[in-house]
This record gives sequence, structure tokens and C-alpha cells, in this order.
Amino acid sequence: MGKVKIKRKSTLIDMTAMSDVTVLLLTFFMLTSTFLQKEPVTVITPSSVSEEKVRTSNVAQILVSPEGKVFISVAGDADAANADTWGSEPIRKEILRNAVTEYNRLHPSKKVELTEKDVETFSKINAFGVPFQALPAFLRLSPTEQDKVISDMTRADVGIPIDDNTNLETPNEFQIWMRAIYSSGNDNLQAAMKQGEGIAVKAGQDTPYETVHHVLDNLQTLKMNKFSLMTALKTEND
Amino acid sequence: MAQIEQSDKGGKKKKGAQKKMQIHVDFTPMVDMNMLLITFFMLCTTMIKSQTLSIALPTNEKVEQQDMNKAKESEAITLIVDTERNDDGTIKKDGDGKPINVVYYYEGKPMVVDDNNDSIFEDSNLKREQFLGNADGVQQGIRKILHDRNKKVLEKIDVLKAQWRNKEFASKKELNDSIYQAKAKEIRNDSTLTRPVVIIKATPGASWASVIGALDEMQINQISRYQIDNINKTDEGMIDAWKRNNPGK
Repeated sequence: MGKVKIKRKSTLIDMTAMSDVTVLLLTFFMLTSTFLQKEPVTVITPSSVSEEKVRTSNVAQILVSPEGKVFISVAGDADAANADTWGSEPIRKEILRNAVTEYNRLHPSKKVELTEKDVETFSKINAFGVPFQALPAFLRLSPTEQDKVISDMTRADVGIPIDDNTNLETPNEFQIWMRAIYSSGNDNLQAAMKQGEGIAVKAGQDTPYETVHHVLDNLQTLKMNKFSLMTALKTEND
Repeated sequence: MAQIEQSDKGGKKKKGAQKKMQIHVDFTPMVDMNMLLITFFMLCTTMIKSQTLSIALPTNEKVEQQDMNKAKESEAITLIVDTERNDDGTIKKDGDGKPINVVYYYEGKPMVVDDNNDSIFEDSNLKREQFLGNADGVQQGIRKILHDRNKKVLEKIDVLKAQWRNKEFASKKELNDSIYQAKAKEIRNDSTLTRPVVIIKATPGASWASVIGALDEMQINQISRYQIDNINKTDEGMIDAWKRNNPGK
């Protein structure tokens, strides 16, 4: 009986091709996707047949949580040429200063004092939503603490206070913020808001109309009658 | 592939000749790292870009009665969207896990039967439909009703669409699209055609998705005149009457 000779084979697998594939995949993902924005609540937007794409610059996005809490996130100019004046961070600073000045003018007995550092912190936050009175304390928390506070929908001091106020002489906090955004000084943002593309209302598909209605009513009071609603693309083929 | 073989074919072995070398680069760690990066990008980014639906609300300032552009009764149709909810407030789902969005509608003015004048209506001209979309290319539910009301416009737009598909307006895609859009807009706003005026209302419990669904129907049926309005006492009374007259539905 002759011995069966087992051919010795190298177990080395050439990974070059695999590496090529992964690099291609990586490139694809990096180019096509956008980073998830940190949001206090994740909502599933309803679907529609509309094919207009949402703007990523010069837009004020109003997020309505299923509990009726309101958050606003502002994106500034994407143009690199004026990133220093109207990019997201400078514009947020400007908005905060405007809004706080306006709030202090209306409520002289309960003034909100912010330091330069607070303003700096605020400009780094994507979606904000705390009452003015809670703002200084909130901005002095660590970023992890801030996230924890703002995603806790059961807290009373989360969400921008909003009511059925129709008198613009005594605006509610939501109206103060929206007016501060409108008059932030950036003409592009103002023009976008006038056309309706600059204001986007985002709410979950199961949120009752009652809740969203508050925001729509307030926008109407502010004479921001034109705005857009965030939707997802309809999946079913009809 | 990743190895470089240096062979010297047929060369005689000389003294002091360089040793044959096989350079082999192991790419496994590279692949590992790439996979990690891909995982990171897949988790932290999104490919979905949100769509937007632009709407314009009417001003809520008091408008003088004569200035008010009253909708013609024969053209008006009022939709009241509602979502069926369980007792605990969660949305009722049908067999396929889809929410049950219903739409009550009436044509023209609300007509109610109130025999004993107690503001509890016995009957009205309110009817109920559902968002059913298309089945086998035929409109169903509320879409059929809106489609029938806006038939004249839709017929013209269908002709236009066929021309647009064949690129009859211009050979360049962008130009073709924009001409089509302009022409479609003209037809939608053509006052010589009978077009409906739709008033969209929603009950407090109606889900946001059902409101968007109603706005969507306007787009699908090429209705240019629609508005969102607030629900009033009469509407609520009519829905109550409908529910009483059609129990178990």
C-alpha cells in the first residue's frame, strides 16, 4: 500500500481583493450618506408623494415630539465663503442673543443672564428646547448631562413653552425664538423662511393632530403662513 | 497579487547574486480596519433624505366679509380626517398593521337634521370613506371621489403627461420637465374648468400621518385649491351622528 501523499497547501489567503472591495464600499458610504443629527426624540415622519428635498442649510426645523414638546434646530449658511458670519454656529449665537434680549425686555423681573461661555455652548447644540428660565442651568451641564435632560420627555423643563397666544405684543417663548431666527440678520435665511422652505415642521406619523396643530397655529399667528412639512418618500407604489 | 515574485528565468546562478525574494503583504488587518469603518459609517449616518411638502395656511387675521373668497357651494367639498384609536389612545391597526385612517366628507354646505333642536343631530349629509389608494390602477375610496370631482383637470393632465413622457416639449430633460410643470400648473389653475375646492379638517385625535395623507391626495389628484381649517362644533356633531347611525363600524 502506497502512502497517500497529502499535498501541503499554504493557508495564506490573499486579502488584497477583499481590501479593494471594502475600500470601495467605504467610499460609497462616505459619499452618499449624511451624518445623523442628534435629536432629542426620534420620530418617524409620515410618507408622502412629494419629491421636494429638504434643505440642509438656512433652515429652521421645528421638531414636535409625540408628547407635544417642541424643539428647534437651526442650520446656517452652507456657503464656505461666509461660514464665519452666517454658518450654523455664528447664527445660533446671534439668535440666542436676540432671543434672550427680547425675553428680558418682556420679562424685566425674571431676567436671564448668560455668559459668553454659555453662548458658545449653545452654538454647539443642534436641537435646543428648554424654557428661557432653565437655559443658564442647562447650558452649564456637561454635554452628556444635556443629552440626558433634553431626551427626557417627562420633565417639565424640557421643550419650548408654547400656548395659544395670538397677541404678538406678548409673545410666548416659541414666538420669541421664531422671531429671533427670522431677524437673525442673514438675508438668505430670511428669504428662505419667507418662501416657506426655511421652516420645516417635523412630527411623528402617530402624533395626534391636536399636538401639531399648536405649532401650526403659532406659525400662523407669526404670519409665517408658508412652511414645509417633513415627510418620507412613499414606499408603496401607488 | 500582493506578492512580488522576482524570478530570474534561465539565469545562471552567479556568485553574489541577490537572493530570490518573495514579498508578501498581508492585507488582513487592512480589511479588518475597513470593515470597522464601514460599520461605523453605516450606524452613524443615514441615506434617507427627508422629503418636504410645502403648504400655505390662510392668514388668521379677521377678513372683511365681502373680501372673503367664499367657495362656491357646488365646488366645495369638506374632508374631516380621523384616525381610529383604541381606548388607551394608541392607534388601532388593521390586519396588515396599517393604521385605520378614515375620512368623513360632505359636499357643499353641512346639512343637518336636528328634529328637537337640542344640537344633537339625528342625521346629516356626512359620508365616510377610507384612504385606499389605487387597486389595479383604479382609484378607490376617497381618492375616487376626489378624482371624479376633478376629472376635467386630470384628463387634460393625463394628455400632458403622455406628451411629457415622449419628450415632446423639448429633448433636453430639464427643459422638458420645466415646460411640463408650467403647463400642468396652468391647467390646475384654469378657472374655466370645474375644479373642486377642498377644505381639510382634522379631528383632535387624527394622526399626523392622516393629515399628510389628505394633503397627499390633493397632489395626486392635481387639486390646486385646498386649505386647512379648524374643526367646529357642527362638524363634531355630524361625526357623532354618523357614528350613532352606523354603530359597530
